[in-house]
Amino acid sequence: MTQFSIKRRQLLAGIAAFSALPAVGLSSTSVFAQAAAPVAGGILKISHSTRVASLCIMQTSGAAEYLIGDMLYSGLTRMGMDMAPMPDLATEWSADTEAKVFTFKLRPGVTFHDGSPFTSKDVVATYQAILKPETASPARSVLNGIADIAAPDELTVVITLKNSYADFPLALTHPNARIFSAKALAGPIEALATQANGTGPFKQKTYDSARLTTLVKNEAYYADKKPYLDGVELHYFPDLAAETSNYLSGATDAMLEVQQADFARIAAAKGSKGQRVPSGRFVNIVMRADQKPFDDIRVRQAMAMAVDRQTLVDIVLEGLGVPAADTNISKQYRFFADVPETTYDPVASKKLLAEAGYPNGIKIPLVCSNRPAIRSQVGIAVKEMAAAAGFDIEVQTIPHDTYLANVWRKGNFYVGYWGMQTNEDAALTLLFTSDAAFADTAWNNKTFDGLVAKGRTELDPEKRKAIYAEAQQLMAKEKPSVLPMFQDVLTASRDVVQNWTCHPMSKNFYVEDVWLKRA
Amino acid sequence: MRELFRHPTGVAGVILLSLIAIAVILGPWIAPYDPQQFHTTARLQGPSLSYWLGTDQFGRDLFSRMLDGARATITFGLGATILGVVAGSIIGVTAGTMGRSVDSVIMRLVDGLLAVPDLLFTLLIVTVLGAGTGHAMLAIAVAFTPGLARISRSAVLSVRTKDFVQAAIARGEPRAYVILREVLPNTIGPVIVEATIRVSFAIMLGATLGFLGLGAQPPSTEWGLMIAEARQYMFRNPWCVAVPGVAIAMAALGFNLIGDALRDLIDPRSRR
Amino acid sequence: MSAAYLARRIAAILLVLLIVSFAVFAITQILPGNAAVMILGEYATPDNLAALQLKLGLNDPWYVQYFSWLGRMLQGDWGTSVTLSQPVKTLIGGALWNSGLLALAALVLVTVIAIPMGILSALRRGTFIDLIIGLFGYLGTAIPEFVTATLLLVFFAGPDYGFLPAGGFVPLGESVSGFLYHLILPVVTLSIVLMAHIARQVRSEMSDVLASDYIRAARLKGIPERSVVTRHALRNAMAPAIAVISLDVGYLLGGILVVEEIFAWPGLGRLMIFALQNRDLPLIQATTLVLAGAYAVSNLIADIVIAMIDPRVRYA
Repeated sequence: MTQFSIKRRQLLAGIAAFSALPAVGLSSTSVFAQAAAPVAGGILKISHSTRVASLCIMQTSGAAEYLIGDMLYSGLTRMGMDMAPMPDLATEWSADTEAKVFTFKLRPGVTFHDGSPFTSKDVVATYQAILKPETASPARSVLNGIADIAAPDELTVVITLKNSYADFPLALTHPNARIFSAKALAGPIEALATQANGTGPFKQKTYDSARLTTLVKNEAYYADKKPYLDGVELHYFPDLAAETSNYLSGATDAMLEVQQADFARIAAAKGSKGQRVPSGRFVNIVMRADQKPFDDIRVRQAMAMAVDRQTLVDIVLEGLGVPAADTNISKQYRFFADVPETTYDPVASKKLLAEAGYPNGIKIPLVCSNRPAIRSQVGIAVKEMAAAAGFDIEVQTIPHDTYLANVWRKGNFYVGYWGMQTNEDAALTLLFTSDAAFADTAWNNKTFDGLVAKGRTELDPEKRKAIYAEAQQLMAKEKPSVLPMFQDVLTASRDVVQNWTCHPMSKNFYVEDVWLKRA
Repeated sequence: MRELFRHPTGVAGVILLSLIAIAVILGPWIAPYDPQQFHTTARLQGPSLSYWLGTDQFGRDLFSRMLDGARATITFGLGATILGVVAGSIIGVTAGTMGRSVDSVIMRLVDGLLAVPDLLFTLLIVTVLGAGTGHAMLAIAVAFTPGLARISRSAVLSVRTKDFVQAAIARGEPRAYVILREVLPNTIGPVIVEATIRVSFAIMLGATLGFLGLGAQPPSTEWGLMIAEARQYMFRNPWCVAVPGVAIAMAALGFNLIGDALRDLIDPRSRR
Repeated sequence: MSAAYLARRIAAILLVLLIVSFAVFAITQILPGNAAVMILGEYATPDNLAALQLKLGLNDPWYVQYFSWLGRMLQGDWGTSVTLSQPVKTLIGGALWNSGLLALAALVLVTVIAIPMGILSALRRGTFIDLIIGLFGYLGTAIPEFVTATLLLVFFAGPDYGFLPAGGFVPLGESVSGFLYHLILPVVTLSIVLMAHIARQVRSEMSDVLASDYIRAARLKGIPERSVVTRHALRNAMAPAIAVISLDVGYLLGGILVVEEIFAWPGLGRLMIFALQNRDLPLIQATTLVLAGAYAVSNLIADIVIAMIDPRVRYA
């Protein structure tokens, strides 16, 4: 099953409708048209190449950890393949006219894996835990717009925000914002790293972070007849050659992430199918706008013209991606605006550099962390391309922690790597607004900040579309960073596996929909 | 040195190392292309008339990269070993000539350091200093020092009792003279043998560090790094892995063979 | 070998371990990042980072951190891994067992194959067999393990005509045959270089012994050749061979790191690499100490074995 585009599904007319107005209580909707009826039974074996260091989904951020968290825990809402929130533990939600007070109706009859009932107090306890700085949860940035959480009865939660935010239910799909039981949170949080107790479709059976984690079907899962699988095994292979060999020989049924270099071979292998999921995952080249030489917008534009985007996609991504126009809003986002891409023009770039006062080009080091390897691959490729425009780039690859300690948010020219975010607001406030959580471009553009703030509180979808379009055009013109391409998310599964897929954000996998077709 | 040629292993070693030396010294002039230049229409190709050993994932010529990497890899191996030899010899000779108490203290420390296996030691040091060729070289030099200290000390101890040294002492020669003119020249033999073999270890350790991402960093053409990066393209163009792999094997083999031949020469009955 | 000697050796080992522990600790203090930085990665906001560092005790002065750690170690509390949130002892226990089995299997394989190879080489010195074995010996030491491992993976565990599993691990308790099946490739990779070393060494020792007066006398006395080789020559060649094996244990411990990483063998080597990459100090400390300790102890055992085999060796 190869997907080259994501179809948009609108449950109700009007885009604002499915964020702020009640979503009728559907159980987790299957986004696949079933050709045959699903058959229950079987164990799915998935291989992964990054360690599962902890089962506590509130704190983790590794690829395999998202997968496990998605299977063990549920949130109030869940991200759908069309970038809209689906009901999960909340069956419906509504907002006041200002989109400041949100009321969530919770699903009745849900129990945690240990049998205890799920009620509104678990939601309150979870969100309060996330808001504590010592929990160090990545979801904190999403929840700290909350002014108050109340639980008027066992199946209702009322959340009041400090400011209007139409997309709040969407923001709650954050993978780290899954619900834990109040009882578990009363104890030490370290215990949750090895003991999972959630409401998800699968329960923890064994956990050995060094090689294998096994999960079993949660018989009490709220969705009727799901999950189909009896259990799931996650096999850890730190070396890609071994992981690939095991998958191709049939010892495992699915590979969580496939590298670009191997994808064609794996997709073409007998009994195996590869999947390309276009996504907003990107590599960007940060050009610090308050230091020389990038304080001059002409130099930034020259750099952008010195990169051949399609060739970059072809040689670094093996064609498994799309060129980008220096904004981090990809086609999958609802308010994506088709901004013209900067074409590769080394001659014009050279001229622009000369105009900016660099007739002999610029000699500058480009720092790349060594994790993941794609950073230095992009660095090397950009070095070669930009040479024709007069940029003499020296690629410096350094260890990830040195990069985090000494270069990130401090250096003036380095390669960043970020995944896709839940919505435009999250994406733009991640890096590019003046008060962004991880701001590192020092662009500090007041107009842009204003646009993003307006887009967040605006309720009318048409107006939001226009606002975000303007924001994207501004980014594309002023180029706080060179963002040359979006990377497809790549995964693979054997033919016997039905409905294995991965959301473009790589944080949801809908494993309750997966079944094994035995001949 | 004529003797060297009587041993078949010596001859083989010399041939291999000569090839390597040509690559190191003349590499940049022989290389048909710039080792970093992309040829995006000719990616992952096997050997052809335009690219004698094929191309890698960016379309860079493998033959040119191999020649360029010869310099990086061999100077790395030689550099690390020489540093280790110098440091180790100074320590070992000092221990061997300075008398019981100094000897005792130094050797206790050396034994302590010898308790840590090479790769482990190197890993720890590189983790501190950070990845990179220079740091890896330093790390390997430090890891080699205790072993070489031990060897040079043993050599000194065995020479010390020899007649000509006793004679020099009896003559009343100053200590420095005895060390420099009588002891050192005769300890060099075993040290050189060990050092030659260690160069091949250094090259392999460097390659392993590159594999673990802790040694040379992209876009370096160090052979170990070339293999590490090429592993994921192995099935599409095995030449990416084969070219640097054979190169490392040739270099390591060459140094090993010469080291063995030297050992047979210097002391036909010596054993490790 | 006297009890006093043994006692002194053990004391020396402990001293060494103390030095190593301090060295490792000092090293991690100089590191630019620390465990908190690595755990949070790019999602570290300044206050998240500060809170986590406080929780992990990373703000205490170095001597406080070191001595409190040392005190706890001596009492049997090896601390908790900061990245894996599990007691270090549990993590190391399982890993040590797995690595130990791998190392032992490699040593057994090497002894069983390399020593006969070396003997054969020495007996048939100068012939074709000698040449082949010699060639294997040289090549074995010229190829880095990660290359050997990759080649073995491709040829024996490849999807098309492979018949061995491509890495992975089955616990001994679960299935003996599964365990052995997954053991094959890692053990072979580890053994190749050792076999090359040791075969060469044995050959060289055997050649010397076979040429010695002692052996000539035995032959002149009319003792059957078989007896000459096994009872007289072998005994004398063994001691240095075992000395080399014991030195190579150090190499084995290094090779294990790479082999475990590639074949996904859940042992101490892989645990250590993970700890180093993530600046997990308690884990780095413990794994380094265990590995260094294992090396020191194996050296001691080798010395004891040598003393038992070769009566000429005396330890003061």
